[in-house]
Amino acid sequence: MYKAFGIVNSSSKNIRVEGLEDYRPIGAFSFLGRYRVIDFPISNLSNSDIDRIQIYVQEKPRTLVSHIGTGRHYNINSKSGRLQILFSDTAKRNDIYNTDIAAYYENLECIEAMHHEYVVITPDYMVYSADFSTLIAQHIDSGADITLLYHSVDNAKEAYLNCNILNLNKQRGVLSIEPNHGNAKNRNIFMDTYIMKKDLLVDLIKKARATSSAFTLTDIINELHNDLDVRGISHRGFFASITDFQSYYDANMDLINIKTAQTLFDSEWPIYTRTNDSCPTHYYGTAEIRNSVVSNGCQVEGTIENSILGRGCIIHKGAVIKNSVVLAGAEIGEGVHVENQVVDKLAKILHVKEVVSDPALPGYIKRGDII
Amino acid sequence: MKQNSMLAMILAGGRGSRLHDLTNKVAKPAVSYGGKYRIVDFPLSNCANSGIDVVGVLTQYESVELNSYVAAGRRWGLDSKDSGVYVLPPREKADAGLDVYRGTADAISQNIDFIDQYAPEYLLVLSGDHIYKMNYDKMLAYHKERQADATIAVIEVPLKEASRFGIMNTDGETDRITEFVEKPPVPQSNLASMGIYIFNWKLLRRLLLADMKNPESSHDFGKDIIPTLLGDDKRLFAYRFKGYWKDVGTIDSLWEANMDLLSPDNELDLSDRTWTIYTEDVTALPQYIGTEAKIQNAYITQGCIIEGEVTNSVIFTGAKVRPGAKVIDSVLMPGAVVEDGAVVVRALVANGITVGKGALVGSADSEHIELIAKRVKGAE
Repeated sequence: MYKAFGIVNSSSKNIRVEGLEDYRPIGAFSFLGRYRVIDFPISNLSNSDIDRIQIYVQEKPRTLVSHIGTGRHYNINSKSGRLQILFSDTAKRNDIYNTDIAAYYENLECIEAMHHEYVVITPDYMVYSADFSTLIAQHIDSGADITLLYHSVDNAKEAYLNCNILNLNKQRGVLSIEPNHGNAKNRNIFMDTYIMKKDLLVDLIKKARATSSAFTLTDIINELHNDLDVRGISHRGFFASITDFQSYYDANMDLINIKTAQTLFDSEWPIYTRTNDSCPTHYYGTAEIRNSVVSNGCQVEGTIENSILGRGCIIHKGAVIKNSVVLAGAEIGEGVHVENQVVDKLAKILHVKEVVSDPALPGYIKRGDII
Repeated sequence: MKQNSMLAMILAGGRGSRLHDLTNKVAKPAVSYGGKYRIVDFPLSNCANSGIDVVGVLTQYESVELNSYVAAGRRWGLDSKDSGVYVLPPREKADAGLDVYRGTADAISQNIDFIDQYAPEYLLVLSGDHIYKMNYDKMLAYHKERQADATIAVIEVPLKEASRFGIMNTDGETDRITEFVEKPPVPQSNLASMGIYIFNWKLLRRLLLADMKNPESSHDFGKDIIPTLLGDDKRLFAYRFKGYWKDVGTIDSLWEANMDLLSPDNELDLSDRTWTIYTEDVTALPQYIGTEAKIQNAYITQGCIIEGEVTNSVIFTGAKVRPGAKVIDSVLMPGAVVEDGAVVVRALVANGITVGKGALVGSADSEHIELIAKRVKGAE
């Protein structure tokens, strides 16, 4: 409808989520029980009537590819729309080459082949809702070459440390894009979301490539900023950047509060995901549950407080789970106490009776581990 | 048709009038069950899991919602090439005027052309309003093994209740059916027909063509077709089914079937991943459980928000229990809301109905389950 196609970009160097990322890219991380992080960018594009979408994948694509499938569950027109999964393996040689530009350059043919005038680039490691059709209209009205989306925060000293920030002038012109060094509370966090003409993107990819093999898209925009009109648009509503372990844990925890969740989810803006056909959750007579988010297919006999359960978890009698994110298919044994943990998929905590970490430093239980 | 040369036809035209207001606007097969399902998901999922590729659904009463629901065959994985779910309401034909389905057999007769397109060897006839899990492929193997002309699935019921069912009298040893009696006052057997039939299509086709022209016939499988087959000395066998099977004909039995899911060793076991029951994929948040919630013995699905107390109850997609509200021994259908401080006891709250603040519905010692099908105003 809006003559734009979408690019869902994966994380490149600098970003690392300890533990979870050993098994899958951030886009494929389980989020808030029944979602995966990439459901948010794809749903945003789909809801904005953008149904030609390129998804860039680097390492360990299995989970992501099987989750995305044909894309039908994202409500993308099965004839005119298309989800294209594009691989790149440049990163394998040396992390310095692991840039978005490298991935785009490897697939430049696919980008050039798109007949859409505009492109929206959105990351697979950030969680937010945004109507790109409105943003594209704003971008066109402003006459800018590039529009960047940012979120103003007041905790940039301790959070968003792997993110970039935007330096803006009073007219919201972008003076520069810089790493967040954590030296000020109030910052405009760059949401790694770009709107520009497709031809400009192709031009920037080629120029970046000609300048340096290690250049990123932000590097080339900074480099050329005197010749480009780059502007920022402020985003409101829920925003989380899943760029390290703590931010993954915090983003999940924040959304247990339904008032916070309502700033992300809107019945007019559905977030789609792949159905798993699990049955409803069965709470038994011994269950105690408060302030939590639970997915379908669980069996709960124990106590759950301030936690998130993925699909099909089994929580036995006398087990206590507090302030934890428990991923799909995990099992917590009788009398086991789990607090401040991320328990990865299919892990079973049966023999160790206490798995408790400091609230400031949540622990991680590996995928499929039995402890 | 590649998998086992058997085509299924689901009879889904009935109203289910004893479900009162629940079936005012939807046919019984489309009634919600078990938190996230509809009754017709059971025969459809059974077909998909039994390797049946083509399913016709015969609809008649209030079929708008049911037709659009079952037409999306991909919900049950019935959407590959050579596979599909086809909605078959009565239609006008070149050689006959528009006619409603006059009986279960007539519904099939009027769609002989549809079935002929696939030229199946066997026809499976099912009812769209029973809750059970069954492998029809095993029943077909039994049918072939016995070299039967027709096989009818039966379930053993207590003899004293047998007079409520269609009863199969058999020769005892081989389970060959000797007689079919509809609701016998003095039952001789406790084998109740489940309304699941496998026929050799060529034979049935011939019988149906004759039955259509017979002015005496009520065009019913139980009353006409089965007795004709028995009269012709055809080989009819009873296929004994063991397991959960429920015909939810009344509000009480619909409530009870939901309550069965709360039992830790319930036979239906919807969590069994080797026989998944598929349903509509609803876009909904996970379950949100509030800070003051109390949940015990409950079956709850995605999209629900529970801020109050839920005891011994089944809560369907998108239902809400507000702070201070209590839901006890009850069923909240999709989108039902129990507002602050309201109490719902031994009741079934229909789709999208709100029980207002502080209201009290149902009662702990009622004989029957109360159906709440209209908004209950709150106590101000």
